[in-house]
Amino acid sequence: MDASLFLQFLANGLSVGLGYGLAAVGLALVFGILEQVNFAHGEIYMVGAFTLWFLGQSMGMPYWLGYPVMVAAMAAFGLLLAEVVFLPTLNRPFETVILATLAVSIILQNLVRLVFGATPLHIDSPLDGTTLELGGVLFFGQRIFVAVVAVVALAGLVAFLRRTETGRAMRAMAQNKDACLMVGIDIRRVTRITAAAGAALCALASGAMAPMFDLYPNMGTDVVFKSFAVVIIGGMGNISGAMLAGLLLGVAESFASGMLGATYRDGVGFALMIIMLLLRPQGIFGKSVRV
Amino acid sequence: MTGMYVLLAQSLNIMLGYCGLLSLATPAFFGMGAYASTLLTLRLGWDSSMTLACATAVGALSGVVLGVPSLRLSRHSFVIVTLSAALLLQIVASNWIGLTRGALGIADIPTARLFGIALEGKSAWLAFMAVLSALAVAATWLIVSSRLGRAMVAVRDNEPLAIAAGIDPLKIRLFAFACSGALAGLAGACYAHYLSFIDPGIFGFSISESLLVMVILGGAGTLWGPVAGAVIFTVLPEALSMAPEVKSLIYGVLLLLIVLFMPRGMARWFGRPLAAGAGTGK
Repeated sequence: MDASLFLQFLANGLSVGLGYGLAAVGLALVFGILEQVNFAHGEIYMVGAFTLWFLGQSMGMPYWLGYPVMVAAMAAFGLLLAEVVFLPTLNRPFETVILATLAVSIILQNLVRLVFGATPLHIDSPLDGTTLELGGVLFFGQRIFVAVVAVVALAGLVAFLRRTETGRAMRAMAQNKDACLMVGIDIRRVTRITAAAGAALCALASGAMAPMFDLYPNMGTDVVFKSFAVVIIGGMGNISGAMLAGLLLGVAESFASGMLGATYRDGVGFALMIIMLLLRPQGIFGKSVRV
Repeated sequence: MTGMYVLLAQSLNIMLGYCGLLSLATPAFFGMGAYASTLLTLRLGWDSSMTLACATAVGALSGVVLGVPSLRLSRHSFVIVTLSAALLLQIVASNWIGLTRGALGIADIPTARLFGIALEGKSAWLAFMAVLSALAVAATWLIVSSRLGRAMVAVRDNEPLAIAAGIDPLKIRLFAFACSGALAGLAGACYAHYLSFIDPGIFGFSISESLLVMVILGGAGTLWGPVAGAVIFTVLPEALSMAPEVKSLIYGVLLLLIVLFMPRGMARWFGRPLAAGAGTGK
């Protein structure tokens, strides 16, 4: 393989990987802080993409306006999810939450199928067709945008968790829920904020990546499995681990589909996840580093 | 179809109800059984008594193969891995075209032929599935009322105490996984011969979706609850001839409501004495 092809695979992989990381970070956040697995995570991605399509087609909003509106709407949806699922089940066995979020994902998937039908839809972006060539490597505009959104969002998240009072409360809850109660942290408020932030991160990824792929009601399933793989590889609940594992998965997929063929692409995540679970069930970075 | 769901519901019930493990791998065993029986019939021309037995064995074996790595994991990861196993098999079935004809599926699967007698028509199938379901319920009863079944409940309710009493939790759960796989594999084989068509879609999540509603609403950890759930939730949608999206939507809403408000299922209404702590797991 010559150097420019290698660099091209690497660039594609890194940009897709940043998107995977961004989508998975929301899942890692909810798991790390609430210790709950959100099976409806992929559906947040899917509903976000369909909302963006709807805002563009039916309300005539341009992509740049529809994108932030959609992210705000999905953050509100995260709040709703907290009210309906996470708050009533704070002290219930975790299987309850898994089943409840599974139920939410079934509901959302079939609602979207009923409303929008099963025909794949497409979102237009002003960056469609724009490219940038750098040293023989071709960068697509939308992919650069994904990478920029991911980096900015993650830097923002880390700053939020480190610097603000709320962020510190979230990290405290990740460490010890009972101690939080003792020092007067409002667990219910932290739960709401976590769910909203998780949904917003997922929506950011969805809005940035949606113009590159077709929209269909099952698309959330692929996303949630990739996110699970990423979260397991990076260590459940580990945010920087999820980011790095997302990059790793993106690059591995890019090389696998480039060198072995596209059918192998979707197997890569599973293979990595299974190897990881057999060799090091706590993930590459373990659970200790939370932020 | 009802009979098939009775087998599947008991398969999930052994895991969820008696072991307290939320396993989403049932479609994986189901699909393995379906493909195993189909390929043995079409490629080798075996009698269905043999292919059904093989499908059961393949299901049980898959349960053990999946159980060895996944049962060592944390319980969160366990759920994810069982779900991924089904999806991974779906990818394999879609892409191993030489064996499974990929996404096209395999059509014209002959009906089951037991010791030279073919099962023709709906009434023959109904009788056959009724017998199989009765056997499955009886087998489940035998398992859960045996020492092994009591060990499962012990491990579910208090693992350290069970270990102290000399029970190896891993072995017990592996055994449960094998039983669960065997029932689902058999159900898959029946499905293939009854519908005469299979494709990689059978590994999908929709079976788990129906099953969870049947088992949890029926009452996980009871013998008859899941049977009642399976009968009600196959007959009702047929009778009301609902569109699949509407059916799934209703299942989703039902599942959410049951999980949040009625975690012990319908069995509670009948005042049946539940095994201590029965429910969606602890």
